[in-house]
Amino acid sequence: MNGQWHLPAELMEHYVTGHLEPAQVMSVESHLAGCARCRAAVPYSVEWLDTSWAGIEDVVDRPRPRPLARLLRRAGVPEHVAVFLAATPALARGWLVAIASTLAFAVGAGQLAARHPGLEPYAMLPFLAVAPVLPLAGVALAYGRHVDPVYELQAATPMAGVRSLLLRAVAVLTTAVVLTGLAAPLLPGPPGLAAAWLLPALALTVAMLALSTWVSPPISASVFGAGWVCAVVGGEQLAFSLEAQIGYALAALILIPLVYLRRARFDPGEPVWN
Amino acid sequence: MELIVRGLTKSFGRRLVLDSLDLDFGTGVTGLLGRNGAGKTTLLRTLATTLAPDGGQVRALGLDPADRAQRTELRRRLGYLPQNPGFYPHFTVFELVEYVAILKELTDRRDRHREVRRVLAEVDLADRARTKVRKLSGGMRQRLALAQSLLGDPDLLILDEPTVGLDPEQRMRFRALISRLGENRTVLLSTHQTEDVAALCERVVVMKGGRSVFEGTPGELAGAARGQVWLSDRAPDAARLFWRTADGRYRALGDRPPGGVPAEPGVEDGYLLLLDEPVEVTA
Repeated sequence: MNGQWHLPAELMEHYVTGHLEPAQVMSVESHLAGCARCRAAVPYSVEWLDTSWAGIEDVVDRPRPRPLARLLRRAGVPEHVAVFLAATPALARGWLVAIASTLAFAVGAGQLAARHPGLEPYAMLPFLAVAPVLPLAGVALAYGRHVDPVYELQAATPMAGVRSLLLRAVAVLTTAVVLTGLAAPLLPGPPGLAAAWLLPALALTVAMLALSTWVSPPISASVFGAGWVCAVVGGEQLAFSLEAQIGYALAALILIPLVYLRRARFDPGEPVWN
Repeated sequence: MELIVRGLTKSFGRRLVLDSLDLDFGTGVTGLLGRNGAGKTTLLRTLATTLAPDGGQVRALGLDPADRAQRTELRRRLGYLPQNPGFYPHFTVFELVEYVAILKELTDRRDRHREVRRVLAEVDLADRARTKVRKLSGGMRQRLALAQSLLGDPDLLILDEPTVGLDPEQRMRFRALISRLGENRTVLLSTHQTEDVAALCERVVVMKGGRSVFEGTPGELAGAARGQVWLSDRAPDAARLFWRTADGRYRALGDRPPGGVPAEPGVEDGYLLLLDEPVEVTA
């Protein structure tokens, strides 16, 4: 490189204003790399430089989002919400495998019963008994002191309480409903009956959330889960009758406002000041 | 005052953990000393809004945490390091801090990542950003927990035993960091390390049985032991507490032992005397 030569003012101006061809830009930058005087003569904005470096740093250091976060992003969930939901314990791979296995077992039991004389009327029972309990259990394990390792950290943040719980509950509920919905067509019974778990699932989940404003979510879920299984086993198809379905819908409609009214009780810092 | 506590009471079952506690904390670093079970962690959890008290009042940064909206606003301005911070072990260091940053409402990705990098650099973990949390040593996890508490440059910093697991060099770095942060905000930390209190805190509160039994400067705590700290060549029998020091002499607290000569008291001497229970310690 010729140490005596420096970038002419006109060339420098074209470079700074972005009016050079790529080959010329490379040539100029090659010279700038070795010429301190010309580098010092290049006008630049400190703010622009900082922003540019921050952008480069962000691209280089940015962690690859978790698979679930990527999936949620593709579904249109905002980036920060997707990252938040991807940490939900009840959306971990182990939990999803457990749901899928349970559903597979229920469907398999239904298929076997359908082929066994005398057991056909009960073919749907394993699935219908299990399906509403899955979202219930998932929501119970989505947020709380005993199920989330970083709960104490979360509890001191503005997202603590109902915001975190409901976001996660909706994500878990959606996941469980989708997986269960995928399993339903594999059942031997009529399609209408196979969908009979949806309203009980909704009512049980809302009831569980309402009771969770008094006791911990796992206890609440255990109460309603056990109650549901007893009702199905004891009442057979009665739990899925039209009257029962209307009852589930009404129960959900009544309990949703109760959950809303008592939402502050999901917050660990919600005081009972004297 | 940035933090005002009046008549704070908390029980777990029949055990009274905070007993009508009254305290004021201003700008600067305040150390909480006390035995296990003295109520330090319960006090810090209550101030960090993760535990509701049974009674009393708190005002932090001019906000009343009993009010939901004000509690949320307080959480926006609060940094909290719990005594047992949990982790997602399968997360990387960066992911975990980023997760807490989201909980602190840092929604813009670029700003959030910049802030995560800043706090990781503060605790010297920048080069571990891609390491899984399960692969970190205990000291590194403690630094990670400290890093998340610094997110958003909080006005109020509550640290429950922050120096546990840190090696001497990291403790020095921690002291430098906290003393710098304490210049323009309220930092409240609990510790069992009286050296940290002496080196770092402008003010110290000693808790016992859910109450405050001392409030003052570390110098005043040390001064409370003046005339009750002795060095002697023989194991004393009259002292409330004594131990054999590295030079083979006995350091005794309480009544003057035979042949004892007065020694310059330290924060630890004042603290041990305040606890006021005879214990014999030899080394």
